[in-house]
Amino acid sequence: MEDLLKPDVGVLLLTVCNFLLLVFLLKKFAWGPIIGALEKRENQIESDKQTAANARQSAEELKKELDERLAQISNEAAQKMAAAVKAGEAQKEQLLAQAKEQTERMLQQAKAQIEAEKNQALADVRGEIAQLSLLAAARVMQRQVKEDTADQIVAQVLEEVKRK
Amino acid sequence: MDVAETISHHILDHDWGVALGGLRLPITTHSVTIFCVSVLLLLGLAWAARKHTSRGGKLVSVLMEEYVSFIRGGIVLPNMGPEGRSMLPYFCTLFLFILCVNLAGMIPEMKTATSNISVTAALALCSGALIIGSGLKFHGLIGFLKGFVPSGTPGWLIPLIFPLEVVSLIIKVCVLAIRLFANMLSGHMVLICLLLIIFIIGEMSKLFGVVSMVPAMALEIFMTCLELLVAFLQAYVFTLLTAIFAGSVIHTH
Repeated sequence: MEDLLKPDVGVLLLTVCNFLLLVFLLKKFAWGPIIGALEKRENQIESDKQTAANARQSAEELKKELDERLAQISNEAAQKMAAAVKAGEAQKEQLLAQAKEQTERMLQQAKAQIEAEKNQALADVRGEIAQLSLLAAARVMQRQVKEDTADQIVAQVLEEVKRK
Repeated sequence: MDVAETISHHILDHDWGVALGGLRLPITTHSVTIFCVSVLLLLGLAWAARKHTSRGGKLVSVLMEEYVSFIRGGIVLPNMGPEGRSMLPYFCTLFLFILCVNLAGMIPEMKTATSNISVTAALALCSGALIIGSGLKFHGLIGFLKGFVPSGTPGWLIPLIFPLEVVSLIIKVCVLAIRLFANMLSGHMVLICLLLIIFIIGEMSKLFGVVSMVPAMALEIFMTCLELLVAFLQAYVFTLLTAIFAGSVIHTH
């Protein structure tokens, strides 16, 4: 049993040579191709992940840019809309002012025309009254009627003026 | 019945007595077992690699990739860092080699070569060379020697610390060999002892010998299952500790 702990140098050296040769041969014929293929695939996956990450970043940048442009366009549209509303308001005010002015003018003209026609009518009435007065006076003079009759004639003339 | 003789015969290596011109060749049961395991591993793995590259066997490809990923992600990279990538083939071979040699003892008429101190010492020597080689490769001779002295050590302590650290590294490598040897040897000794119980009791009384077969065989089956577990566990421990020691040399204090 004491041989258990007695190393056999021959077996030891043979095992070392055997094992190192096995490592060399397996590296060449087994592990090399497998590790190579594994790392190649992992690199491919890493590269794909990187590409995907880049694409995502580009998409995010594009989205950000589009959002900015959209916001800018919305802002411009709002500004234009506000300007248009303002211009419309101004135009409306102007139109209203013009209409008001025109109305005033027409009103003034109508008033002036009415005043003129009224004055004309008054003048006509006055002329008529004067003519009638002259006519009444002439009749009074021609007939030499009594005082009561004269009063009746004046009342009759006045009645005629009213009717006219 | 000579129990010691029976156990020795079962455990010890047997020289086949081959000589070449008066020079004894180390052709023993254990060395032949190792050679057979190596040839089988080489042929099997080369075939699997060929299947893998030609995308023939899906199952074989997946198994091989999972194994390599396990050794790389579970043992090499966590303990050695990216510097360990170049040594991955060594660790892949080491684990499978130790595992197959451990399991070879489970096959009738074959021996567990890792219950031989010469074999485990040879493996530990290879791992020791890898550890020292890693230190020299990544730090150079001066850097490697400096790594034996922890940073911040007072100058007057260096003559004491340096030899201690060197001896510590040597002991670590020796312990690698002794741990594997002792574990595999003890398992097989227990297995043979359990079987011998039946014969020892049978010599005293045939009836008790027959009766003792039931518990002895139950224990034998239990121990065999345990041996299977130990075979995997020891292969893992040896590979893991080699990676840890190499990592501690690469990433010094």
